[in-house]
Amino acid sequence: MVLDKLGSALKSGIKKISSAIFVDKKLVDAIIKDIQRALIEADVNVELVFALSQKIKKLAYDENIKGIEKKEQLVKLIHDEIASLLGNKKELDLPKKASIMFLGLYGAGKTTTIAKLGFYYSKRGRKVALLGLDTQRPAAMDQLEQMAKKAKLPAFIDKKEKDPIKIIKQYETELKKYDLILIDTAGRDGLNKELIKEIEKLNKKLKPDFRILVMPADIGQTAKTQTQEFQKALSIDGVIITRMDGTSKAGGALTACAETKAPVFFIGVGEQIHEIETFDPESFIQRLLGMGNLEALLEHVKSATDEKQQKRIEERMQEGKFTLLDLYSQLEQMNKMGSMDKLIGMVPGMNAAKVPKDMLAKQEGKMKHWKNAISSMTEEEIENPEILEKQTSRIQRIAKGSGTTTTEIRELLKQYKMIKDMMGMSSVEGLAEGKIDKKMMQKMAKKFRGKVKL
Amino acid sequence: MFGKLKEKLKNWVSKKKEEEIVVKTIKKTPTKKEKPKQTKELEQSLEETIEAPIEEKGFFGKFKKRLTDEKFEELFAGLELILLQNNVAYEAVAGIKLSLGEKLIGQNPKNVDLAKELKESIESILIDPPNFIETIKESLEMKSPYVILLAGINGSGKTTTIAKLAHYLQKNKLSVCLAAADTFRAASIEQIQQHADKLKVHLTKKDYGSDPASVGFDAAVYAKKNKIDVVLIDTAGRMQNKDTLMQEIEKIARVNKPNMKIFVGESITGNDATEQAKIFNDTIDLTGIILSKADVDEKGGTAISVSHITKKPILFLGTGQEYKDLEIFDKENLIKKLDL
Repeated sequence: MVLDKLGSALKSGIKKISSAIFVDKKLVDAIIKDIQRALIEADVNVELVFALSQKIKKLAYDENIKGIEKKEQLVKLIHDEIASLLGNKKELDLPKKASIMFLGLYGAGKTTTIAKLGFYYSKRGRKVALLGLDTQRPAAMDQLEQMAKKAKLPAFIDKKEKDPIKIIKQYETELKKYDLILIDTAGRDGLNKELIKEIEKLNKKLKPDFRILVMPADIGQTAKTQTQEFQKALSIDGVIITRMDGTSKAGGALTACAETKAPVFFIGVGEQIHEIETFDPESFIQRLLGMGNLEALLEHVKSATDEKQQKRIEERMQEGKFTLLDLYSQLEQMNKMGSMDKLIGMVPGMNAAKVPKDMLAKQEGKMKHWKNAISSMTEEEIENPEILEKQTSRIQRIAKGSGTTTTEIRELLKQYKMIKDMMGMSSVEGLAEGKIDKKMMQKMAKKFRGKVKL
Repeated sequence: MFGKLKEKLKNWVSKKKEEEIVVKTIKKTPTKKEKPKQTKELEQSLEETIEAPIEEKGFFGKFKKRLTDEKFEELFAGLELILLQNNVAYEAVAGIKLSLGEKLIGQNPKNVDLAKELKESIESILIDPPNFIETIKESLEMKSPYVILLAGINGSGKTTTIAKLAHYLQKNKLSVCLAAADTFRAASIEQIQQHADKLKVHLTKKDYGSDPASVGFDAAVYAKKNKIDVVLIDTAGRMQNKDTLMQEIEKIARVNKPNMKIFVGESITGNDATEQAKIFNDTIDLTGIILSKADVDEKGGTAISVSHITKKPILFLGTGQEYKDLEIFDKENLIKKLDL
């Protein structure tokens, strides 16, 4: 996973401390070196890294603290320091009617983020409109228009007008009908005075309730300067970090935010419209230390679930009918949530590192085969897959007809049976009502871990 | 863009010199009892380097006057910090350290000029870019069209760079056409269409979602038919860890057999730059690299990082929003700016 490298350096450091008989200088120096390297590779501001090393050294060399006490204090120090590097959790507290202006460097992902966020809030019952003010980049307006269409949101744009102020005037009255207005602006360099002046002007005119900076996860040591400049010019309310699905560790972006006291509200985790998550430093640390992240997974489930589809399945289940087709659409929805490895990384106890990469690709390929197999079945077989179990000839026929193997079909039947069994569990009621809580998730994960073969 | 690094290195070098001078003067006037604490420490440490080995007795003592591992670590620590602060990736810094260490440890410390050595080391990492226009013209004599593929992660500036390249080629009297092989991102085709209109060049395009490799292929066919010199293929941004997307770019490269494969990276990218450049290089064997947004980040360490990891030349730097804002990467210029 993304954070494995940084995580494993921290974990091994902590392990070294707890298993050492004496915390001596040599050990401390070695650990500090590991942690330093991991943090610098994660783009954490170099000065902050060295300051942290000094703090660890000071505590470790302190002769007055001895034995277990020292170990405990060291581990706590490392945890707390990393936590303070990441800043505190702060949620974007939107009033009933609000407007948010987005700004940031070129190509940071502002337009995509706006569409994602619009989708996120419209799923949560807000009446969202997107306003396009990027009159600089070619086709920026078209991009917002197309993304809005995907998110099923109205986009207020003007492809010809070059003056953003005029666009604002044009839509002023119409926008009053919406409760959340997300405003796209042109990409700009925080150090460019002219561009900063322009955004200040827009800020004055629009008086948005929030100003959010969009920053890519892979930004390096320049993160701090850029954040500071934007902070100085506009007093930004928070940050959204994009491209968190890459291999970068976002240390630059995250620590820059913590330093300038700008909370990170959301992180972008993919190219699909629902791939945005709220950011919680504590669960980020948990992920770093390999403890999984239930909250993020739950949120993912919420965004990807198609309510109508869910309702249909729910009804069918209540009637006691759950067919292979229902299974398939259920699995398909799970796929929508993103690639399997991302999901697995979030389920406690399942570590993506332990699952070979090609296995995950295989799982996605399997879905295709299953679809073919299902289309080769008779209606009776789809409705009552149980009849297949005892009749090998049917399975053979389906395999031949769909170009799959009997093993694959048996596997599909096994999955079906497992899901159906699961529905027999007490938790089904909760599942059917769409109420998935933490406890249940853990229960499911436990059950799955033993049974699902990836 | 290297203003800061230059300044810092200068400071560092001159600080060292000053320190040496201070030490020398102090040695001349031993009567002065109160030395500033810092100088005292420094004198001590310098004496350790230079003097301590001499304390060894006799003839063999001379041979022991060498730069030790520890002392090298200590000396390099300062430089390391400067490089890291200037956005050079850890991996590249470690590489530079290793090669310098191999060269210098065991040498007579008096003969070691670390700043000069560092300059040489960076010099050897950076590769002189071949003459872009000459290379194309030479190849065109044998076979046309000349196909250039651009790839990179999301938002790195591929489309803008393509427009700049097209403008640059036109200025050098080469005819250009474009291929909109980014069939994924919203409005990517409209974006490149606007550039094509402005530059008055032909754009080969298909619907969103169509096979990007085939767009490039059709563009090459068009170029051949209409006797156009250069085809520039724009591709969708992709994160280097998405296997299926990397397979796709591999396919685009395989089908279109471009003469040149360019990675468009950002000057502002931190340590991930090495990872990005490495995987793209492993997947499609890059010809060279263009770093965009060089006007945003004056630190410029990314150039050193990606060159170190790919051993491929940096061809151009993107330095602004206008078509003219494309600079040929000048290694000498960069080194001169470092002013070591």
